[in-house]
Amino acid sequence: MDRLTKTFLVIIGVMIILSPIGILLVWNYGDAWGEWDPGDLAGQVHEKLTGMEKLSNAWTHALLPDYNVPGWEDKLHASIGYIISAVVGVALVLGAYYGLVKLVGSSS
Amino acid sequence: MHIPDGYLGPYTCVLFYIVMIPFWYRGIKWLKNLHPRQVPLLGVLTAFSFLVMMYNLPVPDGTTAHIVGGTIIAILIGPWAATVSISIVLLIQALFFGDGGITTYAANAFNMAVVLPFVGYYTYRLLRKKLSDVAAAGIGAYVALVTAAIVAGFEFGLQPYIQPGYCPYTFWVSVPAMAFAHLVTAGPAAAVVTATVLWYVKKSQPELFSMGEAEALRG
Repeated sequence: MDRLTKTFLVIIGVMIILSPIGILLVWNYGDAWGEWDPGDLAGQVHEKLTGMEKLSNAWTHALLPDYNVPGWEDKLHASIGYIISAVVGVALVLGAYYGLVKLVGSSS
Repeated sequence: MHIPDGYLGPYTCVLFYIVMIPFWYRGIKWLKNLHPRQVPLLGVLTAFSFLVMMYNLPVPDGTTAHIVGGTIIAILIGPWAATVSISIVLLIQALFFGDGGITTYAANAFNMAVVLPFVGYYTYRLLRKKLSDVAAAGIGAYVALVTAAIVAGFEFGLQPYIQPGYCPYTFWVSVPAMAFAHLVTAGPAAAVVTATVLWYVKKSQPELFSMGEAEALRG
């Protein structure tokens, strides 16, 4: 493993620990544009969005929805949930990546 | 910029899956070109991309935005590598964290895994004729993120014309909103992060920097 990869591993570790910044900094902010709850949005525009209601439930099996353990609402619990999500996410991303690399096979 | 399930109708979603097939095919095939020492580097960069997207940044209009990290991968390893790596990140985010969507996965991949790294890469290539590598990378990341956000804005905003009942806002609303969030907050952050990473790589491992360039588009 070269030096750059090692440096990035350290950065990844630090970013996991500091990840709650990503929610605490925007605690009283709304969602990103276009990422609102369909029910809230329908109320906002006074329109029945039938297609959206149906499709928005296309996938309801997220393990850690919104990068949190369901029910961990206060700042402390949400921060812990966020760190757990960061660890799980990094592990899943690396697993998927190495799985794909193995499947494709490197030329050398 | 993750379009959730429900915001795009079935026709739009299917269209983007069709559009993405050749990009995914070529990107996955490109992985064979990875030098053995690039394999772990692309791995950590993929994890890095997942993490930078967790850092939501405050936008003055009360919303949030985040960076993607796609330009860094495009410059250090290649735009096709970025297509694969960001697509992996988006899939994990959709499946396990409910961020983005399953029906909208291909549209999100088009914006963040194709438009973003390719715009970033070519902007960087163009600018480095006149500017330093570090400045070119920073500006490239800025232009790439804002462009991807505007493209996402058009997808939101064209939906009411294609099929009503999904995203209710037309592009007169969605494009300025998406552009604003990324012009003022996430864009500058992407520029600083990308320029810093490139400065560090150039300083510590210049040989890796040039390897990425020569092989970035091969295959």
